[in-house]
Amino acid sequence: MSEDTTAQVLTAGRVQELVYELKIEDAMVRDVQTVNVESTMDDVRAILREQKISGTPVLCRGELVGIVSIEDLLKALAGGETKTLVREKMSPNVVTLYADEPLVHALNQFARYRYGRFPIIDRKTKKLVGILTKGDIVRCLLRRLEMNHQARERAHYRPGHLFEDVVSDKSTLVLRHRVEGSNFQRAGEASSRLKKNLLSLGLSPDTVRRIAIASYEAEMNIVIFTQGGELVATIEPNQVTIRASDKGPGIPDVELAMQPGYSTAPDWVRELGFGAGMGLPNIKKNTNEMSLDSKVGEGTNLRFTVYTTNPT
Amino acid sequence: MKLREIVTALNLEIKSGEDLLDRQVNGGYAGDLLSDVLAHAQEGEVWVTLQTHANIVAVASTKGLAAIIIVHGRSPDAATLQKAEEEQIPILVSNRSTYDVVCQLSDLGIKAHERV
Amino acid sequence: MLRELADILQAEELCNTQGDNVQIDIACACDLMSDVLLHAKAQCLLLTGLTTTQSVYTAEVADIKVICFVRGKRPQRDVVELATNKNIILLATHLPMFESCGKLYRNGIKGCSEV
Repeated sequence: MSEDTTAQVLTAGRVQELVYELKIEDAMVRDVQTVNVESTMDDVRAILREQKISGTPVLCRGELVGIVSIEDLLKALAGGETKTLVREKMSPNVVTLYADEPLVHALNQFARYRYGRFPIIDRKTKKLVGILTKGDIVRCLLRRLEMNHQARERAHYRPGHLFEDVVSDKSTLVLRHRVEGSNFQRAGEASSRLKKNLLSLGLSPDTVRRIAIASYEAEMNIVIFTQGGELVATIEPNQVTIRASDKGPGIPDVELAMQPGYSTAPDWVRELGFGAGMGLPNIKKNTNEMSLDSKVGEGTNLRFTVYTTNPT
Repeated sequence: MKLREIVTALNLEIKSGEDLLDRQVNGGYAGDLLSDVLAHAQEGEVWVTLQTHANIVAVASTKGLAAIIIVHGRSPDAATLQKAEEEQIPILVSNRSTYDVVCQLSDLGIKAHERV
Repeated sequence: MLRELADILQAEELCNTQGDNVQIDIACACDLMSDVLLHAKAQCLLLTGLTTTQSVYTAEVADIKVICFVRGKRPQRDVVELATNKNIILLATHLPMFESCGKLYRNGIKGCSEV
């Protein structure tokens, strides 16, 4: 993969987040080919050729002592030193990374040292546990981005704390977002996070846009009219359902509330750009199913579902 | 330009003020925040908005606006229409967006006056 | 390209994490965010006088990459920071919404319903 492609992949917003979320151990290759410090450069040539790699860590009694690359091999070949020991041709003082460091740290080190690869060390045991190239990072990121939301896949690739809000089991994925009442500064943040999470799961941007718009309207209703509530998104293989619930005042006349332009929002809410009475009709427009259940004095439960096509 | 020419050119639905279409229009204003309209709109302008509640009539009347064009085919409330009759404010409806209506008005040579 | 767009609108760039290479073909002019959510198409330019965080959240949710604040209105710093975090470009012009629409129209920008 060329430098340009790497750079392009890495500027995408979602990837920028992933490089903070993912750890080096998620991207590194664990089955590391190594060479012993007492081997000859001829042995190195055989390993690099057979494994189709361009460098390999050097061990001495199980400890990492250096790294030998294809450039070192070329120099040795040019000097007719094929029988020389790796010990004399390798680069000692090898720069290593810890397996539990975030991927973004590895990217910074690649930019800083311009090395082709870093050996990866376990922080506790100090043993070599893997090796990482830029290609490994790009492959890992692409794999995450292409990941679909099938349960089988999730079992392997559940991206750790990217989904702090995951509270459910194997067949469905549930994301729960709290919404604060009357906090206009933050109103929209729950839908914003939901949108990011759904995109990470590989749903199509058009589908995610519809879900996010409906969810944002629901979130605004909670912020405007209630003391707070929550948005719970249930993601199944073929659909996403959002339940927006609150313990607010309730809606006296649901049918009236559904009419475009009907609003009980005070003027100051209208001046904030909301409350023009299009919230519920807009949710309906963007979703495949919608139901509203409200009791005055108890609260409101709004559910809506968007059918998703399987991502490819 | 007379309001009547705008109504014809833009194919607007007349919701109130059918007898007021000989009014002169000398500019245009677009916006949905009533406080902004109060602050910036100029007398004699036609106001393009998607707001429908009765307060728009009060704002138009206060500022001496020539007419209100409501966009996206939205229906003004009954209270809005009643107030519009009282205050002599023509209310017109277009099926198109604010952006489109302003573009159509621009084609007719209507300009914004206002300079902030 | 963004530079051209800013010139047409006589607008200043308040934040931009995306560079000049942003193509805008359609626009939506609206102060009420519910209506932006209802009518705006993805990738349009949003002309608005609403300078709160809600304009940024709305843009993000509706896949709008560029907001131009009209009527000389300026957002607070936290709004600019939020937009920077969400990779949304903010412009600001002293022109009213009416004139902004007219200028864009004469430069070939279409409304959201026409496309």
